[in-house]
Amino acid sequence: MSILTVENLSKSYGRIQALKNVNFSVPEGTVFGILGPNGSGKTTTLGTITDILKPTSGSYKLFDEPASAANRRRIGTLLETPNFYHYLSGVKNLEIVAEIKQHGKEDIEKVLETVDLTRRKDSKFSTYSLGMKQRLAIASCLLGSPSVLIFDEPTNGLDPVGIAEIRELMKKLYREGKTIIMASHLLDEVEKVCTDVAILKKGELVISGKVNEILSSEDMVEVAATDHKKLLEVLNTLNEKTRIIDENSVVKIFFPVGKANLSAVNNYCFNNGVTLNHLVLKKQSLEARFFELTNN
Amino acid sequence: MLHLLKIEWLKVKNYKAFWVFTILYAFAILGINYTGFYINELTVENMPASQMLLGTPYAFPKVWQTVGFMSSWLLYFPGILFIMLLTNEFNFKTHRQNIIDGWTRKEFITVKFVFAILFSLAATIFNFLVALLFGLITTGSHFSFAGMENIGYIFIQTVAYITFAMFLAILFRKSGAAIAVFFLYGLIFEWLITVLINFQFHLTPVGYFLPLQATDVMLPIPFGNKVIYKDAPDVWIMVLASLVYVGAYYFFALKKFTKEDL
Repeated sequence: MSILTVENLSKSYGRIQALKNVNFSVPEGTVFGILGPNGSGKTTTLGTITDILKPTSGSYKLFDEPASAANRRRIGTLLETPNFYHYLSGVKNLEIVAEIKQHGKEDIEKVLETVDLTRRKDSKFSTYSLGMKQRLAIASCLLGSPSVLIFDEPTNGLDPVGIAEIRELMKKLYREGKTIIMASHLLDEVEKVCTDVAILKKGELVISGKVNEILSSEDMVEVAATDHKKLLEVLNTLNEKTRIIDENSVVKIFFPVGKANLSAVNNYCFNNGVTLNHLVLKKQSLEARFFELTNN
Repeated sequence: MLHLLKIEWLKVKNYKAFWVFTILYAFAILGINYTGFYINELTVENMPASQMLLGTPYAFPKVWQTVGFMSSWLLYFPGILFIMLLTNEFNFKTHRQNIIDGWTRKEFITVKFVFAILFSLAATIFNFLVALLFGLITTGSHFSFAGMENIGYIFIQTVAYITFAMFLAILFRKSGAAIAVFFLYGLIFEWLITVLINFQFHLTPVGYFLPLQATDVMLPIPFGNKVIYKDAPDVWIMVLASLVYVGAYYFFALKKFTKEDL
């Protein structure tokens, strides 16, 4: 089953187009990251599927069904900021959420314990620190133990210990078989937590798929020769490479991790009549890969 | 609907401002009527002849109308309260969270209007008790159900004021703007427009059909026999007009809230 299917989703704010024909689907049981720099349309996407924003065109489905309030009650959602009644305590706020979601109050204590907020549960929300507000929002998502969770920048405002705890929590939820949809601008976070990813850039979907396929680190070999044209021809027939990029003075050859063999490359070129004057092995970082995906 | 109201109750039950406003409002209703009652008694005591002019505003059956008229000046209290209840949601972005968590947009607006009607009902019952009290302690007054329709007018007027305030809150989203427009319009501009329409342009009774004016006409000043709302249409027409307004506030609030980004 597909938990979420987004079809040709577009959203404009006046002349600014925040989403342009975005398509992707979230399979059940994945931790699905929506990754992109600030302003790339992550929150707009999540706002649309939670009925906070009206799409300009396109549609979406939850649990393979047209969206409805009943569907939303089956999902725990933290969108953008923790939204609670400032004058009510943490517990009273969760009681309201539990009522709206039509659950009992019985697991309020448990979710507060999970996010380590039990000690302050009776304090007013307005007295909470940023990190505590974020924890309460995550606790609220966990109410009723929904099978799907949507987290928008879940580690926002948390200290390093809090960040580690939340990431651990997400891994635990994933192991329990829950589907998590998470927006983040932190590549590192997506890489550590997610199984699947959709990368957005200026409202457009750049790519989506399995994290280990899209964001995998690669080995890169940089080569150059006097006869640049001939070099390109020869490299085109080289085995085991994933792709090559022509950068005029040098050519970058990419290999799966551990598959780059400098002497093999050198031999191959020499045997085909090209003498290399430059041959370097470089590892590509994830950041470089991310910039490559979002900058072209 | 009961379940929605239960949630609405959870929101206000521990909201201090709700209780402060409600209790102040209740005391103000008692206070303003006691002031009117006391001044009237005093005037009549000192100048028995004045009774000819003033009538017996706090005796049955006039007391129902008198209390309605006096209390109507205090309707800005619940109006502000409901503006705050709505703009709080916008400020805290809980209007978004309620939808995210599984309310429909229509439920969010509808339960607010139903809550406003229930609050108006409670305020009307309180006004009834206050009227009963002053009617019974006025010398020479005997209980009478005559004029009881005024209690119905109090209810309609309270609903009309509160829903008008709520409509402004949904329109402006900011409590400051909504409260300022509510006061300026209700206390100054509506009177001005009524006077202009009715007397400057000689279009009486068109001016009586403005949103708040329509309900004010139902409960005219009870002191003396002077006709304040000259050439006003029959009361049932004003009641109908007020109900149309309340329906329109709900309709347009719903339309705005269900069509736009939150």
